[in-house]
Amino acid sequence: MAGINLDDSVMTTRLDSVVNWARKNSLWPLPFGTACCAIEFMSMMASRYDFSRFGAEALRFSPRQSDMLLVLGTVTNKQAPVLRQIYAQMAEPKWVVAVGVCASSGGMYRTYATLQGIDRVVPVDVYVPGCPPRPEGMIFGVMELQKKITRESLSARKEHVERFYQSLARQEELQKAKGLSQYQVVREMVLEAGAQGGQQIW
Amino acid sequence: MTPTFSPFLPIMLLFLIALGVGAAILVVSGKILPGLLKPDNPQRAKLTPYECGAPPLQEGARHRYSVKFYLVAMLFILFDVEAAFLLPWAVQYKTHLWTFWAMLSFLATLLVGYIYAWGKGALDWER
Amino acid sequence: MVIERIEAQLPGAVLERHAFRGDETITVAGTSFLAVVDFLFGEGFQMLLDVTAVDLETPEYRFEVVYHLLNLASQARMRIKVPVADGAAQPSLTGRFKSADWSEREVFDLFGIPFEGHPNLTRLLMWEDFPGHPLRKDFPLDGGDIFCSNDIGASYSPEARSLNA
Repeated sequence: MAGINLDDSVMTTRLDSVVNWARKNSLWPLPFGTACCAIEFMSMMASRYDFSRFGAEALRFSPRQSDMLLVLGTVTNKQAPVLRQIYAQMAEPKWVVAVGVCASSGGMYRTYATLQGIDRVVPVDVYVPGCPPRPEGMIFGVMELQKKITRESLSARKEHVERFYQSLARQEELQKAKGLSQYQVVREMVLEAGAQGGQQIW
Repeated sequence: MTPTFSPFLPIMLLFLIALGVGAAILVVSGKILPGLLKPDNPQRAKLTPYECGAPPLQEGARHRYSVKFYLVAMLFILFDVEAAFLLPWAVQYKTHLWTFWAMLSFLATLLVGYIYAWGKGALDWER
Repeated sequence: MVIERIEAQLPGAVLERHAFRGDETITVAGTSFLAVVDFLFGEGFQMLLDVTAVDLETPEYRFEVVYHLLNLASQARMRIKVPVADGAAQPSLTGRFKSADWSEREVFDLFGIPFEGHPNLTRLLMWEDFPGHPLRKDFPLDGGDIFCSNDIGASYSPEARSLNA
């Protein structure tokens, strides 16, 4: 932590490092568990690997009460707008960890039904590869996220969150304009982004 | 020299200080610190009801509910007001014979209403 | 044995039969399909395990709808295959077997074979306005997504927009 001078028993810290220290040591996860990685997450929360020592004992299954979205498992194209809605309903500060290869890139499922990586529809901070990743691997991923949080500046606007909400507004406009379901609209946005050479719709 | 101010003045002072400190804590932790530290990004999506990410099945929580909730609430209010009248009477009903019987006539009127409600089945939860 | 009884009761219904390691399969024409199912129901095959289909693209017919029946008393299983032409409908078995409900919806969703008499013939696995029927042979595996192919070099090409841009 930058700036502590304990010799004179006076703390002179930058506000950022204090706030980031508090945030990174109390990451309350929202386990978006869809498949096998969720089972490995359960073993990570259990006593042997003990994820609670990172301040993450409070598992909150509500986006309003959590700040770290852990996407654990395969996300299908039908589930993509659901994931976007959950991410949209979370309050800042929020971070996303893509756990496992299915969330990072679609994994072994290169098909019409599986979303080829959640970073196509939501902004992701840390990717944890593995099928499934070992609990130690997931803990390492969260520690990397903690390092990332330490480097954050409070005053800088989160540009990727802003772009995400703009993409959400675009999605709603397209839904109204074309009269399609949210699933088809998100699928078309993903395919269009792919056709233009990019991958992300946000 | 004896003080001429009221002996309760220190208590009032303490009360005012407690109020002030409480208000200061609330303002600092509720307004000032969040104003400095919170990431301010109000979005309409954050106010939508949480239905596990799926589009909401119905508009809001305004669905129909059974009238028995209203009945129970209304009966409660009536008999609770009666009980509230009973409380001061219970302290001094022995002062006069008339006091006792006046309240009993009030109770008798309400007893008729109670027997009617009972007979009509308003007290049965399962109809 | 059961198949002989079917042939005795309904001559000409069974077009083809084969057995492999104890499980028996009969191919039944669409016109006599319901009669065969009712006969088998009377014989004790009262549990419908699965309804699925295969896209064969043969010159005579396109699909083969496959039914699996189980006789709980004798533990005998029977597979019934019905050739169905492209666009033709199959009669629904929801009146006889409750499990036919979602199985037939799945076949309709993934192959596009309609079932007559089904109470709620809508898509089950894909979303309601999904274009196409995924398990048909002419539907591409990646569903039109160019980044879904085995050539992962495409996703990491310099033209692709990256997260850190």
